[in-house]
Amino acid sequence: MTVKECYEQIGGNYCDVMSRLRTDERIARFLGKVAEDKSMELLENSLRVRDMEEAFRAAHTVKGVCMNLSLTDLFVAAEKMTEALRGRAEYGDDLVPLFEELKKQYERTVTGIRALSAE
Amino acid sequence: MNRIKKKILIVDDSELNRSLLADMLSGDFDIIEAENGAVAVDILHEHELEIALILLDIVMPQLDGFGVLSMMNRTGWIKTIPVIMISAETSGTYIDRAYDLGAVDYISRPFDERTVKHRVSCNFAFSMRQKEMTNMLSQQIYQKEKDNSLMIEILSHIVEFRNGESGLHVLHVNVITQMLLERLVQKTSKYGLTAADIKLISTASALHDIGKITIPSEILNKPGRFTPEEFEIMKKHTVDGANMLAAIPFRKNEALIKTGHDICRHHHERYDGKGYPDGLKGDGIPISAQVVSLADVYDALTSKRVYKEAYSPDTAVDMIVRGECGQFNPLLLECLLDIAPRLKTELTVVSLGSHTDDKIHDTVKQILHGEKGTASDRSIQLFERERQKFRFLSDISGEIIFEYTSVPETLQLSEWSAELLGLPVRISDPSENCEWNNIFPAEDFKKFLNDIKRTTPSNPVATAKFILNINGQQKWSKIIAKSLWGDSEAREPDGAIGKIVDVNDETEIMELLEQKAEHDAKTGLLNHNAAKRKIDLIISDAELKGKRYALAVMDLDNFKQANDKYGHLFGDEILNIVAERMKENIRSTDIAARVGGDEFILFMEYKDTLIPQIERIFKSLTVKYKQFDVKVSMGIATTQVCNGGYDELFRIADEVMYEVKRGEKNGYKIYGAK
Repeated sequence: MTVKECYEQIGGNYCDVMSRLRTDERIARFLGKVAEDKSMELLENSLRVRDMEEAFRAAHTVKGVCMNLSLTDLFVAAEKMTEALRGRAEYGDDLVPLFEELKKQYERTVTGIRALSAE
Repeated sequence: MNRIKKKILIVDDSELNRSLLADMLSGDFDIIEAENGAVAVDILHEHELEIALILLDIVMPQLDGFGVLSMMNRTGWIKTIPVIMISAETSGTYIDRAYDLGAVDYISRPFDERTVKHRVSCNFAFSMRQKEMTNMLSQQIYQKEKDNSLMIEILSHIVEFRNGESGLHVLHVNVITQMLLERLVQKTSKYGLTAADIKLISTASALHDIGKITIPSEILNKPGRFTPEEFEIMKKHTVDGANMLAAIPFRKNEALIKTGHDICRHHHERYDGKGYPDGLKGDGIPISAQVVSLADVYDALTSKRVYKEAYSPDTAVDMIVRGECGQFNPLLLECLLDIAPRLKTELTVVSLGSHTDDKIHDTVKQILHGEKGTASDRSIQLFERERQKFRFLSDISGEIIFEYTSVPETLQLSEWSAELLGLPVRISDPSENCEWNNIFPAEDFKKFLNDIKRTTPSNPVATAKFILNINGQQKWSKIIAKSLWGDSEAREPDGAIGKIVDVNDETEIMELLEQKAEHDAKTGLLNHNAAKRKIDLIISDAELKGKRYALAVMDLDNFKQANDKYGHLFGDEILNIVAERMKENIRSTDIAARVGGDEFILFMEYKDTLIPQIERIFKSLTVKYKQFDVKVSMGIATTQVCNGGYDELFRIADEVMYEVKRGEKNGYKIYGAK
């Protein structure tokens, strides 16, 4: 699988990331880091213990990372989550579908990245 | 400016974002990373001067990006280290707030390699230029002040030397003027004098007599009273001096020139209006001229001149107050009376040389003080911090740390060292100082100073070992010093810094090891290598000293049988007894060694005949030990017959020894003798 194919599979914008980061090698290297990043775990745990501030920062980090790597689908989900959490003190049920969507996109992305780096 | 490779600090809580940026920039810069604002602030404290630029995220745990910016505002770092914000936040309020707090640029995500590189290098170059400009500016200010003070000093000294004065008059007038003015502003604010004015008037006071350069020296240096005509000429120096200053093109408006002009023209006016050249009265006379006039009179009275002896300071003050030397502002007379006791001591302290530097230093400090937070101001703070660090480290290091200056010869000890040694922190003339020489013997200290003198800028470190007397104990100490050159043109260093380390234990161990390495473990005699080294050294200048030496090589006879018959322990006893007998029967200058197995050598000096000496040794060795008859075969070679080094001597002696062994054994033979 090429990096381009990987991007197609995980719903990312290959042309955009290529124009900014310049080489496949670099893109692949940083995709690998996305798979290792602990922000999603942190987000999930923070939501469970209702630490809304920490949850916001974690979602924000996921969003920033997606932006840098043009992971469009994951970015959209992360952005919705981030905005829902911004300045928020209380947990609410409205967060559940947002998190489920984010998690779904995250797993799809990580699966795609692992397939790429397995080669 | 390029001493250190420039570092960029990347502050972002996402490891991925940091490495992405690091990846883009690592080609041109060294990268330091911080995972939150608090870590970033710690790094800034530590590496302030090395960090050329900061990339700063906003949303972070512990301390966020705005927190870092506020901290940088408080410490002043924001003025010297450019900060570029990097954030996924693109809302106007965030960006505005960052700019308000002093960020220079804002890069939003996603990062584009070209954008990041371009913005970083632009901002970096811009801040570099700004720093260079600041440095240049402070250099120029410093240079200008230096030039001004220097010019004034040169001018006034020309006048003084022509005047036959000591050269101290200008300095004295300067000090008296300053003291009078400082006292005056305590008493009244009516003259509106600021600290800067006082500095200016004191500096300009040096110019008061420059007009005298136009007066013929016969009049200037006339011992007796002036004729009325001569006095008229003499009076001209006030107007002439003022005109000289007024004639300086382009600089007419400069405060120093204006003040100098007033002082020159009016320092012979009288408070009652009877002075010259303009007959000004009371406070119609500029206050600068009033003060300098009083200072001038006081110093003239207390100094020796061609036409008079020096009056004592008390007499001088009396004469002035009684109106014998002109009429002065009563307020200024009060000031004079107030400072009179201090004047006596101050004036004896003032000397040539240091003064100009002091003044420049003050002025530059003052100027720099006005612009808070500039690079130079920060350098001073940093310097002070380094000094404190150094002092702390030297105190806890447990080593004696010193600074040596050759002219005037002084030794400065760190506080801790001084306390340890029971000496003052500062020792003048250490080479002649008894207390110091008790610790560091004068002769050794001189040797070490010579070592320092021989260092060069490319090889500036001198190291030596001496026995020092530290707290009543003789201790081997290692002294390491790095020479310092104040003037790069000078060949010899003008001082050094260094430390004294206690290496007593170390040295004792080394000596023990050395001893062990040179000696044969079984018999305690020297080993063959050590003996060879020593003997070679002696032979190399034997001829020069006209001395004769003999080398005896000997081998025990029937040693193998003794071993077989009585066992190895007994064999060892025999070797030991032979070694003991050798030690007992040689002189301290002779060398005895075990070559290996049952073979020994003996190296000795002899005068005319060798045989009695050999005979005596041979007899003392071949004495029966317990049940064993000790017998040896001995071959001898002499430096008289054999030229060449130890190896040649040994080869021949060994050969002769085997001749004996092959013959009757238990005997000796000298090569070349019958």
